[in-house]
Amino acid sequence: MIRQYFLPVLALAGLILGIAVAVNGSKKVTPAAAVSAPAQSPYTVFVAGSGLIEASSENIAIGTLVGGVVAKIHVQTGSRVKAGDPLFTLDDRTHRAEIKLRESSVKVAEAQLADAKDELAFNENIEDKAAVSAEDTNRRRHAVRIAEAQLAQAQTQLAGAMTELDKLTVRALVDGEVLQVKVHPGEYAPAGVLGTPLMMVGNVAPLHVRVDVDEDDAWRIRSGAVATGCLRGNKDIRTPLKFVRFEPYVLPKRSLTGDSTERVDTRVLQVIFSFERGELPLFVGQQMNVFIDAPARVFTPEPVKPAREESVSR
Amino acid sequence: MNPCMSTPPVSTPFPQIAVRCEGVTKSFGTGAAAVQALRGVDLEVRTGELLMLVGPSGCGKTTLISVIAGVLRRDGGACEVFGQDYLAITEQETTRFRGKRIGFVFQAFNLIPTLTAAENVSAPLVIQGMSRKPAVARAREMLRQVGFDERMQDSSPVDLSGGQQQRVAIARALVHQPNLIVCDEPTSALDSETGRKVMELMRELAVATNRALIVVTHDARIFEFADRIARMEDGRITGIETLKTNAASAAETRSA
Amino acid sequence: MYYYALKMLIGDRAKYIGIIIGLTFASLLITQQSAIFAGIMTRTFSFLTDVSLPDIWVVDPQVQYIDDIKPMQDTKVLRIRGVKGVEWAVPLYKGALRARLENGTFQTCLAIGLDDETLIGGPPRMVAGRLSDLRRSDGVILDQNGAEGKLARSGPDGRRIPLKVGDTLELNDHRVYVVGICEVTQTFQANPVIYTTYSRATTFAPQERKLLSFVAAKAKAGEDAETVCARIREVTGLMAYTPERFKELTFYYYLKYTGMPVNFMTAVALGFIVGITISGQTFYNFTLDNLRYFGTLKAMGTSNRTLLKMILLQALIVGGIGYGLGVGLASAWGALLGGRTQIAFYLPWQLLLITAAAILCICLSSAALSIRKVMKLEPAVVFRS
Repeated sequence: MIRQYFLPVLALAGLILGIAVAVNGSKKVTPAAAVSAPAQSPYTVFVAGSGLIEASSENIAIGTLVGGVVAKIHVQTGSRVKAGDPLFTLDDRTHRAEIKLRESSVKVAEAQLADAKDELAFNENIEDKAAVSAEDTNRRRHAVRIAEAQLAQAQTQLAGAMTELDKLTVRALVDGEVLQVKVHPGEYAPAGVLGTPLMMVGNVAPLHVRVDVDEDDAWRIRSGAVATGCLRGNKDIRTPLKFVRFEPYVLPKRSLTGDSTERVDTRVLQVIFSFERGELPLFVGQQMNVFIDAPARVFTPEPVKPAREESVSR
Repeated sequence: MNPCMSTPPVSTPFPQIAVRCEGVTKSFGTGAAAVQALRGVDLEVRTGELLMLVGPSGCGKTTLISVIAGVLRRDGGACEVFGQDYLAITEQETTRFRGKRIGFVFQAFNLIPTLTAAENVSAPLVIQGMSRKPAVARAREMLRQVGFDERMQDSSPVDLSGGQQQRVAIARALVHQPNLIVCDEPTSALDSETGRKVMELMRELAVATNRALIVVTHDARIFEFADRIARMEDGRITGIETLKTNAASAAETRSA
Repeated sequence: MYYYALKMLIGDRAKYIGIIIGLTFASLLITQQSAIFAGIMTRTFSFLTDVSLPDIWVVDPQVQYIDDIKPMQDTKVLRIRGVKGVEWAVPLYKGALRARLENGTFQTCLAIGLDDETLIGGPPRMVAGRLSDLRRSDGVILDQNGAEGKLARSGPDGRRIPLKVGDTLELNDHRVYVVGICEVTQTFQANPVIYTTYSRATTFAPQERKLLSFVAAKAKAGEDAETVCARIREVTGLMAYTPERFKELTFYYYLKYTGMPVNFMTAVALGFIVGITISGQTFYNFTLDNLRYFGTLKAMGTSNRTLLKMILLQALIVGGIGYGLGVGLASAWGALLGGRTQIAFYLPWQLLLITAAAILCICLSSAALSIRKVMKLEPAVVFRS
C-alpha cells in the first residue's frame, strides 16, 4: 500500500515545491523611494525650466587694470558694498616711491621756478634799463617759462603716479554684496579676463533667476508670465517669480563636464525672473526647478503666398 | 420509464418464460460482404431451465446469445427477455437492464488481473451503484457459496488455476442475483474433471434458484447437464432435444 | 468503480510508470525550459523591474529595446515636465563603463546615473549604506554580486575580497568611492551594476554630444499613464512607454531578432511532443490491453458515461502525478542551481498553470483516443475469444 501512495505523495510534494518556488520568485520589488520628492508645478499648463540664481546686477567678476601682488583686502565675502568702496589693494610700494620722487621733482621744479622768477624780477626791478641787457631779461623770462613748464610737467607726472597708485586699489562700481573672494593678500592678481574671477560682486536685492527653456518650448512663454521656483533638493523651498525680461539671444546651452572639451547640448532661451530672497535659504549660484505658467497659446499661420505663384497669376 | 425496471419479476417456483425469440435475424457487414449470422431463430427459454446451445462454429450460437443478452442489436424478428424488448428501449437502458438482470460467464473468464478475486466478483454490484465495502463483503459471501478457497479471495486471478478462475467468474455472474445467466464455452479452457465440477456448480447455484441459464458449448462431455439442447446450424435452430434423463439428478447421483 | 479504475491503472506497473515517466519528462522539460526562458527574458528588463517607481519611460523614438540606448538632449527632461498630466520627470543615465581593477584588468560595468536631486530610480534594496550617500562626492553604489564577484579584489592567498563601503574604484580614469552596496535583479549580461548620480555618470561616461538615456516620469494621480504617454509622444516627438509596454517592446525585440525564443519554444514543443508520444501511446496501449475488461464491464452493465469517467480519471491521475513530479524536479533544479550559480530561472505562477494546461492537453488527447476506442467498443466482443 505504501508503494501505491509513494508516487502521488512525491508528486504532491513536487507541486508544493513548485508553488513555493513560484511564490518565492514572484515577490514584488518594492521601489526605492525618492530621496527627496520631485518638485511639482502649481500650474496646469506650464513650461518647465532649470534656473540658476544670480544677482540682479548679474554676477560681476571684478578684474584689475594692472597686475600685482595683493597687499590688502578691504572686504569679506558677504560684505555689503557701495559704489566706490575699495575692495582690495595691490602692492603699492613702488608707486609710493615713485610719488615721492615725483613730489620732489615738483619741489625741484617749484624751486627752479622760484629761482627763475627771482632772477627775472631782479632784472625787471632795475630802473636803469641800460644796466641790464634786453637780451638777458628775455633769457630770464624764458627761463621762468621753462621752469613753469617743468613744474607743470613734474606736477602732471606726480598726478600720473597718484593715478597709478589709485589703480592699485580696486573698487566696487555698483552697490551690492561681495559674493566671492578668490584672492588673498600676497597672491598675484593678474590683469585681464580670468577663468576664476578675483572677486565677484552683485546686487542681491532682489535676486534674479536665469531660466533655461528648451528652444522648442520657448514660444509658449509670454512676456510678463508668472512663475514659481523650487529649490533643487527641497521642493518645499519655493518662491513666486516676477518676469523681468527675455534674453533676446537664444544661445547654445553648455554642459560643463570638467573634461577637456565642452559639449553643446541644445539651444536654450534664457528668461530672467526676479524675486526677493527674504528669509529663504537661497544663494546665488544655486539651481532651481522653475515652472512658468504658460496658458495655451495658438498661433494661426498667415497664409503664405509663394512668390512664384503670384508671378504666374500675373 | 421502463415497466420492467419498476416491477422486477421475482423468481417464482413456477416456470415462466424467460426468453422468447421469434424469427430473429442478424447480419454483419453490408452488400456483397454481408454475412447472415441469424436467419430467423425461434427459441423459448423458461426459468429454472438450463439450455445448451450447440452446433458447429460459425453457426451463429454466439451471435444468438449476444442478441439475447442485449450486447448486440438484432436486425429483425421479435425477442423479449423477461418481457423486455431491447429495441424498444435506449441503449443506455439496455445497459442498465443487463447490469441488473443478466450474468455473464466467458470462455476466457475475463477476470481483471489487477483486481483481487473478491473485487472482481464485487464488480457487478459496484456497477449497480453499491459502495465498495458492502459489495466486497457480498462478493466474499458469494465466493464461499461457490466453494472458493477463502485464503485465495484476495489473490490476483493470474495466481489462480483455471478451475478457480471459473469459480470466481461464476460467482461474479451470480453475485447480483440475475435472472438470466449467459455462458460462453464455460468449460473449453478447463480439463474434463474441472469442467464437470464447474457444470455441477452451475446447475446447483443457478437452476436450483429458479433462474434461466443459456450455455453455449460444443463440449459433448457436459451435454448431460442440460435440460434441453438446442442444435444450431447455419443461423437456424435445427432441433431441440429434451433430455429424458434428469441431468440434475444424474449429477447428484454421480456426486453422491 | 473509480477505485477499480485506479487499481487497473496502478496494477499495470510497467505502463503506469512508463506513462508517468513520459509525463514527468514532458512537464519537467516544459517547466524548466520555460522558466529559464522567462528568467532570461525578465533579466533583459530587470532594470525596469528594479526601478518601479516611474510609470512612464521616455526614450528616443528609434529605441528598439531597453539596452538600445539612443541618448537625447538634456533639456528634454524639462519639456517632458511641462507636458500635461506629468507629475514629475527625472533624467536617468544608463550605459557601460569600464572599471579598472587593482590587478590592472578591466571590467565592463553597467552604470546607472540617477537624478542628482531626487535620486529616483535607486536600487530596491540596500545591503550597506544609504541611497542618499550618493550625494557624497565621487560616491557610487555597487551591486552585491558585482562587489563580491567580478569587481572583488584578490587577496594574497588568491581568495576574493569583496569590495566594501569606503573602498575606491577606478571608472574611466575617475577615482570613485564605494558608499553603499545594494541588491539588484540580475541583469542579462550579468555585469556588475554601478549606481551614481546623473551628473557624475555623465562625467565618467565617454564623450558624447547627448547623454540622456531615459526620462523616467510619473503620471499625476488620476491620470492614465497610457494617455499621458500618448500626450508626451504628441508634444515632444519622443517615444513614451509604460513599463509594461517597454517590457513588451524588449521582449518582442528578442523574439524577433534572436533565435532564443525559437530555441526555447522548440524545447518546450519537444517536451510536449515527447510527452504526447510516450505517454499518449503508452496510455493508449494500456487501454488496448484492458479493452477486454472494459468490454466485460460494459457487458456487465457499465454505462459509457462511467467508462468515460474511469478513463478520464486514469488519465488525470497519471497527468497529475507526472505534472507534480515534473514541476517538482524543475523547481528543485531551479532552487538548487539558481541559488548557487545565479542561473536565470524564473518560475511565475502563470507558468505552473501553463504547464498544467499542457499536461492536461496531453492527457486529454491521450484519453480521447482511448475513450473513442472504448466508446465504440461493442460489448459483444467479450464473446469472441
